[in-house]
Amino acid sequence: MGTGTELGRVRGLGSAKDGVHHWWLQRVTAIANLVLVLWFVFSLVRLPALDYTAVVLWLRQPVAAVPMLLLIVAVFWHFRLGVQVMIEDYVHGAPRVLAMLALNFYALAGAAAAVFAVLKIALGAA
Amino acid sequence: MAEFSLPANSKVSSAGKRYPAPAGAANVKAFKVYRWNPEDGANPRYDTYELDLDTTGPMVLDALIKIKSEVDSTLTFRRSCREGICGSCSMNIDGTNTLACTKAIDDIKGEVRITPLPHMEVIKDLVPDFKHFYAQYASIKPWLQTVTPAPSGEERIQTVEDRSKIDGLYECILCACCSTACPSYWWNSDKFLGPAILLQAYRWLADSRDEMTGERLDALEDPFRLYRCHTIMNCANVCPKGLNPAKAIAEIKLMMVERAG
Amino acid sequence: MAEAYQIIDHVYDAVVVGAGGSGLRAAMGIAEAGLKTACITKVFPTRSHTVAAQGGIAASLGNMGPDHWTWHMYDTVKGSDWLGDQDAIEYLCREAPAAVYELEHFGVPFSRTEAGRIYQRPFGGMMQNMGAGPPAQRTCAAADRTGHAMLHALYQQSLKHATDFYIEYFAIDLIMVGGECKGVIAINMDDGSIHRFRSHKTVLATGGYGRCYFSATSAHTSTGDGGGMAIRAGVPMQDMEFVQFHPTGIYGAGVLITEGARGEGGYLTNSQGERFMERYAPSAKDLASRDVVSRSMAMEIREGRGVGAEGDHIFLHLNHIDPAVLHERLPGISETAKIFANVDVTREPIPVTPTVHYNMGGIPTNYHGEVVTLKDGDPDSVVPGLFAVGEAACVSVHGANRLGSNSLIDLVVFGRATAHRIGETLKPGTPHAPLPKDSADMALGRLDGFRHSKGGSPTSEVRLAMQKTMQANAAVFRTSEILDEGTRKIDAVYQRMADIGISDRSLVFNTDLIETLELDNMIGQAVLTMHMAKARHESRGAHMHEDYPNRDDEHFMKHSLGWFRDGGVNLDTRPVHAYTLTDEIEYIKPKARVY
Repeated sequence: MGTGTELGRVRGLGSAKDGVHHWWLQRVTAIANLVLVLWFVFSLVRLPALDYTAVVLWLRQPVAAVPMLLLIVAVFWHFRLGVQVMIEDYVHGAPRVLAMLALNFYALAGAAAAVFAVLKIALGAA
Repeated sequence: MAEFSLPANSKVSSAGKRYPAPAGAANVKAFKVYRWNPEDGANPRYDTYELDLDTTGPMVLDALIKIKSEVDSTLTFRRSCREGICGSCSMNIDGTNTLACTKAIDDIKGEVRITPLPHMEVIKDLVPDFKHFYAQYASIKPWLQTVTPAPSGEERIQTVEDRSKIDGLYECILCACCSTACPSYWWNSDKFLGPAILLQAYRWLADSRDEMTGERLDALEDPFRLYRCHTIMNCANVCPKGLNPAKAIAEIKLMMVERAG
Repeated sequence: MAEAYQIIDHVYDAVVVGAGGSGLRAAMGIAEAGLKTACITKVFPTRSHTVAAQGGIAASLGNMGPDHWTWHMYDTVKGSDWLGDQDAIEYLCREAPAAVYELEHFGVPFSRTEAGRIYQRPFGGMMQNMGAGPPAQRTCAAADRTGHAMLHALYQQSLKHATDFYIEYFAIDLIMVGGECKGVIAINMDDGSIHRFRSHKTVLATGGYGRCYFSATSAHTSTGDGGGMAIRAGVPMQDMEFVQFHPTGIYGAGVLITEGARGEGGYLTNSQGERFMERYAPSAKDLASRDVVSRSMAMEIREGRGVGAEGDHIFLHLNHIDPAVLHERLPGISETAKIFANVDVTREPIPVTPTVHYNMGGIPTNYHGEVVTLKDGDPDSVVPGLFAVGEAACVSVHGANRLGSNSLIDLVVFGRATAHRIGETLKPGTPHAPLPKDSADMALGRLDGFRHSKGGSPTSEVRLAMQKTMQANAAVFRTSEILDEGTRKIDAVYQRMADIGISDRSLVFNTDLIETLELDNMIGQAVLTMHMAKARHESRGAHMHEDYPNRDDEHFMKHSLGWFRDGGVNLDTRPVHAYTLTDEIEYIKPKARVY
């Protein structure tokens, strides 16, 4: 792959022809986060009380559960994209692959657990 | 991992020499200059030269030349045009990357600390190794590329408006002040092209005469080559020619989005 | 001693020394002809001094009004005060438009007219209708950064063609065998290794020696290295007494303000606020040729009408020009004036003074770029294997005075001509005859001698003595007395070279050593400049001899030639070519030069 000269090293493995999608999604999820987090805070403030029952009752409504699911997806997605950037910045070589695996697993598992929790409340029996 | 501390042989020793000002000098300023000679096997040090500003020219380069001519001819640095157009004397002065020839001594309070451009390998004293930077420049194919043959016996037509789109881009002097001020370039200069080279890349994307926009974007679309730019903006702050590489990079990113739909 | 240096050998068809405008253009053209070509340069190509050229490049495109190459030729001949060789001038002016179009096709970001064509501005001495006027807009410009735009584009082209560069290699000496050039010896500044480049054709594109003077617009690297090598190789130098003083160097800093500033409407005033150029050049005024304007300024200062506390400079006014025009067409000098003179050009005048800018003289060549010498009575005898282009050369198209914007066109036209000549006369892969054993001895002897020199005269001291002498004794106005003193003084400075002493003995990036080699290159040219000036008993172009205030075509319509060896100067002359290249234009006969 031409690593014997400076130009060879710079050309390296070539362009990944990837990155615009990541960059764009990071911005889209950021905007989604902004809107959904505002909705979340605003909704909590409007609750009559912040005890368990009040929150669960609120979350059982579709108008709360659906945005909540969207918020979870957007937050974990944005988190995953952002941490990926940090890993790429500072972790090089094989450790980067491991770090990315760990990140993907954590983000997916965390999001799945959160989604399950909301669904359980929203769809669960009284 | 990115390296955050200096390797042992790069740590600055305390063995620096001090060259006092000539007797009777009234307007004395100290210049603390990074010194390293690969042939003496010693770690780098700071030598301090006291100069009489009444007999020194106004710019930092004037001070360096005075030191080399009158105090210590072993001091090593690059210089050529001394008017800010050749880009030879880029270095870190008082904590900021700039050109020694256009940086006024009066603008610096107290001792003037001069080091090579950060995060480049040092050849000697204030002379860094630019080979990698130049190879990155070559890698973006920085020349006019067309499919249409050039017209015979006349110039290509370009409107005044189209020509104005490369103002603020073609003026780059390849001094590397911006790239070596960029933390992202510090950590990933092996793959990230850095602000100077990306500004140059955009210079050709913005030129109405060039016909290889798609191919150029293809070559740039990469998590490392382009997207290591996190809009830290050091590049725009330090450019001694007043250019804005961060804006050029943003324009490239917008072109990428426009193309992806 | 010399055996201690290990030599790395390289074999090429052709080698170009220098990577400014002419060197890059030549190297590209030679490589295009299928020849194996190396380009050796002591600085990265875009740091070469071509980068500092501002105003533009002359070519009769006629984009902004009527023009014709013969008009350009007439102006160049008149500008040269008839010392230019008219065959070469015809070649230059005839080829100029094609050379500029080629640059545009390379991607040079020229400023544009409303019609989208290359913008052209008026420049000093450029007229329509064979000198009759009005002024011609002939100087093609990329704002006021034309040299920068051009040099970067030429470097970009050489990247495209994957030119074989040796960057930060300092050429020490030519390899001459039996009067023929066989290559060049260079030191790699990066590690101090010695490289022997064998080549059939060697092109010196090393620029001028402006740094012989104390105050010059030239870069610190303009040290005439090619001239120094040529002198040591026994090649004469030509017309060295003609040193151009640019009218508008910033007072104190010596930094250039382009003639394009006057082309865009700027004008000069003295301490009485008078536009004095109207007196000296009633028709061309501030756009007379550079020697005329510089002399007029020096005269105003001498007669007590200079500005400033010391009355030793002149004001250049741009403050009447629309700020939008300044921003579009002169952005670079607006910035430069702010940095180096603390002047806001939209409000205040710039303090300027005539400053050494260009060497009309240099290594004598014909219009193919082949170095010529006077040998066995033949004034056009070619030195085999050796070429010179750009400011290092004296073709001679600039004669006794160069017109502004004719240097950039000189670079590309003769860079290309040299490449064509080499392409036509050399077959790729022609075998090399073995070199004699001592081929590197002179270079290594000099290198080693300076590297271990322990004399009492530091390089900077000798250099300063040379610069002060040149500044005082080879200035705008010259007299026999000043030049007599000058030759004595400069000869004495040369003697100090034997007592030189440097401090840095290292091999890696030893700039103490390189500056000493540069000084050694300059000093011979300084000596020749002074001696040639003393010998020319007339006033012509940039050479103003007050004891002989008129041009004397009968005795001095000829090129000065000078050899320099071990402190001794030998002077002779070559005839000026009093013929053109083709029948399309007749020889332009000398007449009084009035602007």
